[in-house]
Amino acid sequence: MANLIDELRIKIIDTLKLEDVSPEDMGEEDQLVGGELGLDSIDVLEMVIMIEKDYSVKIDNKKLGARVFANLKTLAAHIEETAPEGVF
Amino acid sequence: MTDIRVLITGMGLITPLGSGVDRNWTALLKGKTGIGVLTLFPTANDLSFPVGQVTKSFPPEGPPRTHQLALMAAEEAIDHTIGPPDAIIMGSTTGGMSRTEELLKEKQLSPTLFSYHSTGSVAEYLALKMKCKGPVITVSTACSSGATAIAMALALLKTGRFKKILVGGAESLCRLTYFGFHSLQLIDPHGSRPLDSDRKGLTVSEGAGMMLLESSDKIMDTETIEVLGAGLSCDAYHPASPDPEGAGALSAMKGALNDAGISPSEIDYVNLHGTGTVDNDLAEAKAFNRLFDQHRPLVSSVKGTFGHSLSAAGAIEAVVSAKCVEAGIAPSSVGLHTPDPRLELNPLRESKDAPIRTVLSNAFGFGGSNTSLVVGRSREIQGKTQGETQSAASPLPIPLEVSGIACITGAGNTSETLNAFTKGLNCRGLLSEKEISSSLSTRAARRLKRLSRMGLSLATAACGDAGDSKKPGAVFFGTGWGALSETHDFLNALYETDERFSSPTDFMGSVHNATAGRIAVKFNATGPNITTTGGDYSFEQALMSAHLLAKEDDRPFLVMGADEFHPELSRLFDASVRKGKTPSDGGGALLVKRGKTGSGPKLEPLFYENGNGNPQVVSSLVQCLGGNEKIDLDFGAVFAGLPAASRTMGRKQLDLFIQTAGFKGPVIDYRRYLGEFASASAVATVLAASLLKTGKISSRLTEKETVDLNGKGIVLLGLGNFVTAVAVYDGKGSS
Repeated sequence: MANLIDELRIKIIDTLKLEDVSPEDMGEEDQLVGGELGLDSIDVLEMVIMIEKDYSVKIDNKKLGARVFANLKTLAAHIEETAPEGVF
Repeated sequence: MTDIRVLITGMGLITPLGSGVDRNWTALLKGKTGIGVLTLFPTANDLSFPVGQVTKSFPPEGPPRTHQLALMAAEEAIDHTIGPPDAIIMGSTTGGMSRTEELLKEKQLSPTLFSYHSTGSVAEYLALKMKCKGPVITVSTACSSGATAIAMALALLKTGRFKKILVGGAESLCRLTYFGFHSLQLIDPHGSRPLDSDRKGLTVSEGAGMMLLESSDKIMDTETIEVLGAGLSCDAYHPASPDPEGAGALSAMKGALNDAGISPSEIDYVNLHGTGTVDNDLAEAKAFNRLFDQHRPLVSSVKGTFGHSLSAAGAIEAVVSAKCVEAGIAPSSVGLHTPDPRLELNPLRESKDAPIRTVLSNAFGFGGSNTSLVVGRSREIQGKTQGETQSAASPLPIPLEVSGIACITGAGNTSETLNAFTKGLNCRGLLSEKEISSSLSTRAARRLKRLSRMGLSLATAACGDAGDSKKPGAVFFGTGWGALSETHDFLNALYETDERFSSPTDFMGSVHNATAGRIAVKFNATGPNITTTGGDYSFEQALMSAHLLAKEDDRPFLVMGADEFHPELSRLFDASVRKGKTPSDGGGALLVKRGKTGSGPKLEPLFYENGNGNPQVVSSLVQCLGGNEKIDLDFGAVFAGLPAASRTMGRKQLDLFIQTAGFKGPVIDYRRYLGEFASASAVATVLAASLLKTGKISSRLTEKETVDLNGKGIVLLGLGNFVTAVAVYDGKGSS
């Protein structure tokens, strides 16, 4: 899971063009959306697409999204739990 | 206010319900829906959602689908026996995109195939077919475009300078909007169910709605149906989500009632924007409930019938509104099963016979751009009897006074460009994104690509360090081609993933009015937010819109134009870019307010006519500018806009102008310095305003001796396919 979290840090910075953020700035239990990173609902949608594309995991409703995108740890856990075989 | 009335004398519709106003009306009242299966382009099974598709197919050798839909509706609306319309105003968001995206997918990259790409080409195609010699304007304010076009036609007719305008909106289904709304999770997989507790989003659709509007200075009989008023506002809140409290929606509705001179209690039926997205319906209901807290008009949304045809929707629903008045029937909300109690509305679930005199129709769009229209039976004016002729004299809008300027060219930002241009040096080329974005924070710029960066930087620079009360309250933005980077990147990502994934950020950014919407958010500019997309004349159209629609209040507003060069798309789309040697782009912005007495330069759009099929255009221009003597008295120099693709035609027009007007001052061919990009005229206007301050034009620019303007102004002529004139003067002249 630690590897996945590291991978997600880089992918999120890249996808959301967070040029002024470095991976170590992103604590695994820090609030991901609406926190210091300044991420909003559009960023969530971008992450949804990145996660479906790269891990074949669909997050297509707001309730699920709010839980999954709480922090890096919840996101990684959800991906690990729901990704189809062969993704990792 | 003038006594000019704006009558709806012709209407045309083509929608997923069928072709023709009567067929649509009958089907609408029967509660039918046009929402069904998409067959225009293939999609993966799990990405197949219902759409509103027009059943008609068009021959592939003709222009793209949007253009064909527009023409069908226009043919129904127009009465050929009364001659061509004086002007055409179209709402369009995607123009020929349905064809462009197909060509890009197939990698068919011959530029001639893309000649109908631009959003402006829809109106131009109609102008050709209808032989319209007057202004041909394209409004691109996303999902409010069709209604905004009608608002602009209303304002233009009320100046008394035009008698009949063909106006409306047209939209074709395309991958960009289909996958774009999906990427934003705004599509209801069951088909749109506006106002329902279980609603999950909208259904993208297509169609066209057109109207022929005619002005009259007579009091009409009370059977006549008019466009009585229009209200425009901007949420200034978010690129794709409405202000949750509906403040912008409320402001547009109130504005429309004020414009019509009526109170909320006089509205009998409200046609909601009602897309079926959770957020839109909630915000709109809040606005509705605040406006109609006493009197409760009938209310419904027809998006469950027609789907959401984006730029066409506002025009289609204006036609529906007029039919409601004519027939005395309000349509039901198809798709609605359980009204959402949170909306606190009582939407019609069956069509209802009622005495309907006046309808309020809403159209709201991305970028927070809102337009409300009031359509209804003619009202008698106190003290006047029917048939009595009123005075048609209507004061022209007060000129715009410039208090701030900014520009970007290959030479640099404002000061570098001014410096280079006044010395007659080359300003062509592409400024680096770093330099363009120097006034933007990294965080603010992270989602912005080239055009939005330019727009925000220009707006920021033009406003300078003005205090809050001097910040712009409205934005009028012209762009020939819109956000090419976002459009390209969206489609590229889509095709790279076998049409599965695309970026919601790029979709929001690809909308032509995204830049103006972002500027509104930055400055909390809650007034009209209009983006015009008329190719090389987009800035002139923005200026004309500002002149017509900006309120006469204390807050200044921005009039601007910008275009980006895109390495793959610009040469495909823009024939002038293909002919230009150096890839160039940029833009100009002017912070203005209405005024005659201040010290800043004055700005006035004076002329706009079709250059094609209009042999009298130059003499008409000379006459409009007041004839030879007045031209000599008013103007010390001409700035000529000669797009490379129509240079021969433009040159002939220019020579004829100089000859007819006997003009002896310097003529500056500004694209030679600025390069080829659609909104070069915005930069030229900024440069002209700046040169006025010095009062001199250097010998390097005139290529002869230095010219002293002696208090005279500069006239900027747009030449080629359209002929336009914009005057920039210091107020002492008599323009």
